Amino acid sequence: MNKLFLKLAMLPSGLWKSMGADVEQLKAILKVRLTLDDRKPLSFGRQQRVKKDRKYGSLLNIFLSFIMGILYTLPLAIPDRIFSLAFYFTLFLFMLTFMLITDFSNVLFDARDKYTLLPRPVNDRTLVLSRLLYVFIYLLRIVFPMSIAGWVILGIMDGWKSVVLFPLPLVLMVFMALFFVNGIYLLLLRLAKPGRFKEIINYFQIIFSILFFACAYLLPRLFDARRLVNFNIHDFASMRWLPSYWLAACWSWLGFPAGLPGTVWLSSLAVLFPLICLFITVRWLSPQFADKIGEMDSIEPSEQKIAVKTTSRSGKKFYKKLADIFNRSDAAKAGFIITWLQTSRSRSFKMRVYPTFAYVPVYFFYLLTTKREPLNNVWHGLKENPSYLLLLYLCSFVLMQALTYLTMSDQYKAAWIYYASPLVTPGKVMSGGFKAIWVKYFIPFFAVLGIFIVSVWGISAIIDVVLALINVTLFSACIMRIGFRHLPFSIIEQTKQGGVRIIKVFISMIVVGGLGFGHYMAIHMFWLKLVFLLLSGGLLWLVWDSYANTSWESMIKSELE
Amino acid sequence: MEPIITIRQLSKKYGDKAVLNNINLDVYPGQIIGYIGPNGAGKSTTVKILTGIIQEYTGEVMVAGKVLKDNVLEIKKMIGYIPELAEIYDLLTPREYLTFVGKLYHLSDEVIEDRSRKMLDSFGLLGNIDQRMDSFSKGMKQKVLITSGLLHNPSIIILDEPLSGLDANAVIMVKELLQVMKQEGKTIFYCSHMMDVVEKVSDRIVLIDKGSIIANATISELKQDTNESLEQIFAKLTSDGSQSQKADEFASVFSQKNNE
Repeated sequence: MNKLFLKLAMLPSGLWKSMGADVEQLKAILKVRLTLDDRKPLSFGRQQRVKKDRKYGSLLNIFLSFIMGILYTLPLAIPDRIFSLAFYFTLFLFMLTFMLITDFSNVLFDARDKYTLLPRPVNDRTLVLSRLLYVFIYLLRIVFPMSIAGWVILGIMDGWKSVVLFPLPLVLMVFMALFFVNGIYLLLLRLAKPGRFKEIINYFQIIFSILFFACAYLLPRLFDARRLVNFNIHDFASMRWLPSYWLAACWSWLGFPAGLPGTVWLSSLAVLFPLICLFITVRWLSPQFADKIGEMDSIEPSEQKIAVKTTSRSGKKFYKKLADIFNRSDAAKAGFIITWLQTSRSRSFKMRVYPTFAYVPVYFFYLLTTKREPLNNVWHGLKENPSYLLLLYLCSFVLMQALTYLTMSDQYKAAWIYYASPLVTPGKVMSGGFKAIWVKYFIPFFAVLGIFIVSVWGISAIIDVVLALINVTLFSACIMRIGFRHLPFSIIEQTKQGGVRIIKVFISMIVVGGLGFGHYMAIHMFWLKLVFLLLSGGLLWLVWDSYANTSWESMIKSELE
Repeated sequence: MEPIITIRQLSKKYGDKAVLNNINLDVYPGQIIGYIGPNGAGKSTTVKILTGIIQEYTGEVMVAGKVLKDNVLEIKKMIGYIPELAEIYDLLTPREYLTFVGKLYHLSDEVIEDRSRKMLDSFGLLGNIDQRMDSFSKGMKQKVLITSGLLHNPSIIILDEPLSGLDANAVIMVKELLQVMKQEGKTIFYCSHMMDVVEKVSDRIVLIDKGSIIANATISELKQDTNESLEQIFAKLTSDGSQSQKADEFASVFSQKNNE
């Protein structure tokens, strides 16, 4: 598969050459990066998982992408072909841009090959293109299975001409998103000081991913679905300014009627816009790229020259006090301390986790407004039903996201220290890490929501807040126990998840989803809620005991799954 | 005197490839063992077995009279390990990293603080104790790593290329440190390619090649009938002695015809 995508990425090699890239070097770099990905170890000291399981995992990923692709074809029900495709591509573009910002941003600024590539005679344009085409190949792996459903439906509805045309706008769409997002990054890189750049990008990513998420969920609320049924093209005239409309306008070449004036002319933008983005990114923004990347991590402090207050601190640091309060064993304290500190400083962790705090209220608002009533009605109706349960259980997103990324790090090799130290039960360190996440991220967030809920729904909601707190913690502890028994920051982030694990996590989500449903059913029965509280508390104790006592043997066994 | 480390018929395979073949070795307390060998000879594997990182092997390893396989944790407590590559959580400051490591060895906050400050001060790093290590040079990280390996006052110290990246002053300091620790009765297992340093600090040289020990003697025993340096003895024992011819061949690649 890699070979095929590599060939596809190198197909316009004449174009890459004219942009100033060295095609031979470009191909060599891409080939090595893809090979390296295939051989990534699982964690410190562990080899790559067995080939069969990986194959199974990627097949499952392809299948999931395919299913998602079916959902994306819903707009194709709109009779106007160009408009239906414009909606279709809008969904795709949203998804791609979101992924580029959240998952692939770090690829462009990855300084790991600083010592392998930067000293070689590789020019900036080759360097930038190699990183962008690498992302391009990854995007294609996702986009192709997703587009199959659309492809088939177009074939059935329009015949072979649409089938032949379809891949072109699809690839142009990937290019559009890729070069646009990364063009903005390179512009920021040029404008910002190297020392501050990482922080700026980090906050840019966080803000943009929140904005995108909010737009994706809340914008459709502004449209009235009835307008789509009684479709009138002029209600959507402003769509012509969206790149997804330009892509759809390519179908005017096949003779599909264009309702909006200028559609044929706009279709040329589908080809021109990615080219312009590409040109600006590679020709104008790439120069000095290597310099900037090199500078990014090389502000070296000289020994002793920096005057730091080194007198022994009076009093303990806050996190150390918390570590002492929440943990009994030293191993758990070590897990708590490293998690507390690393999570405050790791950019990739912040990028993955911080936006989820915003997702919770956005998603809550989205679910509240499914009936499309005026906002005033929604607010007044709020008190009359226990919708706050939804808000409380949505918090499991935040906790789960933070806990999942607790185990991952680019510096997974530094985890050798756990293996060389006399650590009896790795589960203790894991439990310390879990508690650090719980105390640092989950409890403050949950407390704010709890205060909001009690102020809106009254004091009687306290029992629900407490029950939900226990249930969400139980849910997360279950998932960690089943799927993520790893030491903090000890495994490498995989682009692909293991198939067995996805299924395990999926099953536990269903099981614990039942907890929330049980809570909902018992909402007016105080005594039943008390019984649930005791049951969930007991269950949590059992699951926690098993998680916190994870032995070396069971940890290694679960890593191989 | 009873040996502190006893290795008997130690073998290790990766798939079909044998990395260690029947290693037998005794190390006595207070000795500095220079463990040398060409690249890929099996040095790092031996070290990983001794430190308990690799636990699958055949043969027997005993440390302080205890079987390693049955007492891994107890033995890990006695050992201080300083690895070759400065793999460290460098988003932390030295103070934070040392606190984390100290906790893994059950040290109290006071002991960690006191020892960290004194040890970092000796390395000239006290001024950087609250700075993140992501901007540290390789040598600075190595100094923190050495500190973290010695923080719990181990009786056996295993060093894998500990001087890599250190400046000349730090190298002198570490060499002195090894002597002081030896006088305190600590056992030091020193892996390195820097023959001049090994020659100066070691009481005994163990030379490993292709997974087997091919020499185990004091430096004077090795030099018994010759005036050669350890480097020359190493070359003689581990290669066919054609290094200069190979260098010529290597350089001649550029002078051959048809080469750009």
